[in-house]
Amino acid sequence: MKKLISRILMGVAILASSACTKTDNYPGPNASFQGTLISSTGGNFPTSGGSTQIWMQQIGWTAPQTIPSKFDGTFEDTQLFSGGYKVVPTGGAFWPVFDTVTVNLTKGTTHNFTVTPYLVIKNFTATLNGTTLTLTYDIDAPIVAGLPTIKDTQPYVNTTSLVGTGASIQVFSDDNGVTINKDFIDMVPADKSRTLTVPNLIPGRTFYVRVGVRLNDSYLSSNFSNIIRVDVPSN
Amino acid sequence: MKSINKLIIAISVTTGALVTSCQKLDIAPPNIFTSDVIFNSQAGVTSFLASIYQDLPIEDFKYAPSTNDGASTNGYAGFQHGANDWTEFYNEAAATGEEVGPWAGMDIGTGFGYWPYADIRNVNIMIAELPNHVASLTQTGVNQLLGEAHFLRAYYYFGLAKRYGGVPIITTVQDPSAPLATLQVHRDKEQAVWDFIASELDLGYNMMPATSVAGRANKYVAAALKSRAMLYAACVAKYGSVNFVDGQAVTAGYAGIPASAATGYFQAAYDAAKLLDGVYTLYNGYPNDKVQNYVEVFLDAASPENIFIKQYSMANKTAHSWDDTMSPRYFTANALSRSYPTLDLVERWGNLPITNSDGTPTRYDNRAQLMQTLEPRLQATIYFPGATLRGLTFDMQRGIYPSFSGTAAAEVAKPANSRSYILAGSTATLYQGMQVIGNTGPWTGDDEYTRTGFYVRKYINFNEAQSAVNLNTSVQPWIDLRYAEVLLNRAEAAVELGNTSDALTDINLIRARAGAALYSSVTLDQVRNERCMELAFENQYYWDLKRWRTADVVLDKAHFQGLMPYYVYDENKYIFLAEPELFNREYTFPKQDYYEPLPGGEIANNPNLLPNNPGY
Repeated sequence: MKKLISRILMGVAILASSACTKTDNYPGPNASFQGTLISSTGGNFPTSGGSTQIWMQQIGWTAPQTIPSKFDGTFEDTQLFSGGYKVVPTGGAFWPVFDTVTVNLTKGTTHNFTVTPYLVIKNFTATLNGTTLTLTYDIDAPIVAGLPTIKDTQPYVNTTSLVGTGASIQVFSDDNGVTINKDFIDMVPADKSRTLTVPNLIPGRTFYVRVGVRLNDSYLSSNFSNIIRVDVPSN
Repeated sequence: MKSINKLIIAISVTTGALVTSCQKLDIAPPNIFTSDVIFNSQAGVTSFLASIYQDLPIEDFKYAPSTNDGASTNGYAGFQHGANDWTEFYNEAAATGEEVGPWAGMDIGTGFGYWPYADIRNVNIMIAELPNHVASLTQTGVNQLLGEAHFLRAYYYFGLAKRYGGVPIITTVQDPSAPLATLQVHRDKEQAVWDFIASELDLGYNMMPATSVAGRANKYVAAALKSRAMLYAACVAKYGSVNFVDGQAVTAGYAGIPASAATGYFQAAYDAAKLLDGVYTLYNGYPNDKVQNYVEVFLDAASPENIFIKQYSMANKTAHSWDDTMSPRYFTANALSRSYPTLDLVERWGNLPITNSDGTPTRYDNRAQLMQTLEPRLQATIYFPGATLRGLTFDMQRGIYPSFSGTAAAEVAKPANSRSYILAGSTATLYQGMQVIGNTGPWTGDDEYTRTGFYVRKYINFNEAQSAVNLNTSVQPWIDLRYAEVLLNRAEAAVELGNTSDALTDINLIRARAGAALYSSVTLDQVRNERCMELAFENQYYWDLKRWRTADVVLDKAHFQGLMPYYVYDENKYIFLAEPELFNREYTFPKQDYYEPLPGGEIANNPNLLPNNPGY
């Protein structure tokens, strides 16, 4: 009886040890996709967190994926499966692009997209007076006809150079915003030359500052200025 | 070794028996219900209907609109059946600013992938089978049940259309072995789906009897649902054609309806609502106590206002937890609350008299004094400071001011550390012998304390003894359709059609019952506001914001307010300050959420569902 049991156990042991020899030998994702969003008015198209994305769909598959744009308008994803993809930039404050581009992704594929911004923020200056920061800038629109209504404008202040929507200090940023609610075509020159103030900055700290103008488009998206570093002296 | 021999003998005998026993028997499997068993008797049909009713997309107490933010303890969201310990406060109200609660923000916009085609298939089976059973069910019986089936199918498609717009309209029982090409159906246009819902509800109205047992539909339930659904379609046409996210699905008509169709839908909503004229009435069981009267609208089983209800039972383990999870532990035997009405909702009734004309806070002798000046319906919808439940008082108090001078606005604008109030880290902390924080908050120390100074009162079963208020013990029915909503549907459709006198009559019926001052004229804004007040916490507001296409405006970086009661020690008075609610949450509605994304798994099964809704 004992012999029988031990034989059965041995059989089970042999089966168990020999059962799991298969290894997963599928290749991992090794293609990459990178590039830059270029503004039709020149330079990179500045973006922010949670806004502009590169929408992409592998041909033959149904689920789309997205690559978020970095704040300087570049994007990169190094963990993609190689193959043909339909790609299009979406979700930012630029005139919508509906036509997808087909790219064949391999390692190191680069593709740049040119977009036409809704608004361009020019002549952005930041002047510090004590702990009060004064920001001046001009708003211009490359294309006026059909432009979404301009909702508001606000500063974005953060302690790192990653500064924008979702990456800013509320009391310095959202709380200093100004409502506009006008169409660009109805704005007089004074409406287009803006000044914002950020009071009560903390002495001895370094801040990174930019301004944004938000539009009532599909994504309630904002056009952004470049980012300026502000060192508030200790008192 | 002897035992082995016995084993061998036993195995041989068994094998021998099995080999010789295979005589063919032609017996129907006794564990499978054939269509004859189900459809040859009313009892069989009723049992088949039970699961179809149970799965209806009724957004009741237990409805969990998303799995975000840990909303679902069982890992899936949607229409819940059994025990549901902690879902009630993850409600639509708390994602949209009627309340603030456990959602981190407006986190329900992409839904939970609702896709009830299995339920629709059950209805389709019923519609296909019933005509074969005239002999046992009679022609009248079959027709009435067919009418009910058409109503049920419309209800499911309404649940789909308001989420996705255009979806495939499937009216036959698909054969799983059919070629893939016929199974992979395309989306129908949004307008076609709403028209289908309308025609199904018309069939329901024409074929069903005028009365039914509670929980089942009759012809007026179909008409009431039609008034709701057509209002939705009309608003998608009127407002969705102005405020929309562009994309392929819009161009193809899967998301959006031409603006020209709006008037027809408003008229259909109005006509459907009018069918209920004189059939149902607003509840008025306690005409001399307007507050109690409005409380009983949601508790009195005999209410003539109830059109369609969903019932619960402890024996069947379908009871809900509304009482236990909308009031703090102080009033219950267990559990806790997590979502709280906002001052913004309360101010739909007008600004509270908490500030004098010179800007200083109005002094009150006791907490309850403020509430007593307010509209009865408001008092019956929300528990204010000073209200009572099960013999205990809602003693909301945020803190104590040793003394208070100046205006309310100046005080609230100060940074927290330069305000002169006394707060506490525990409800047990005393100041000069007085409790600093009320037993019911407002306080951030634990989930169950209000963050706004209010608690939900609507649907709270005040009759239940405290010791009996536990998880999964509440059985008051959810009123899915009540006559007040039909009147509001009718008023909104009427005012959109330019018939303001009809709208005024409807609204004043509601205001009279509410104990509010009557209007002498009415605007669209007033009709909408009346709806938001009357139907607060009834899972209508979220869909109203969506169909009015105002969600992206109302919920644009929105912060909501609470009403913070303080005791002023040197005056022995209470003051109330309007302050940001204590979660300090921000709510933003992305425009693409006017349509939910079609579920990714379904698109993988059927790529013909593409294009997905814009923005996804």
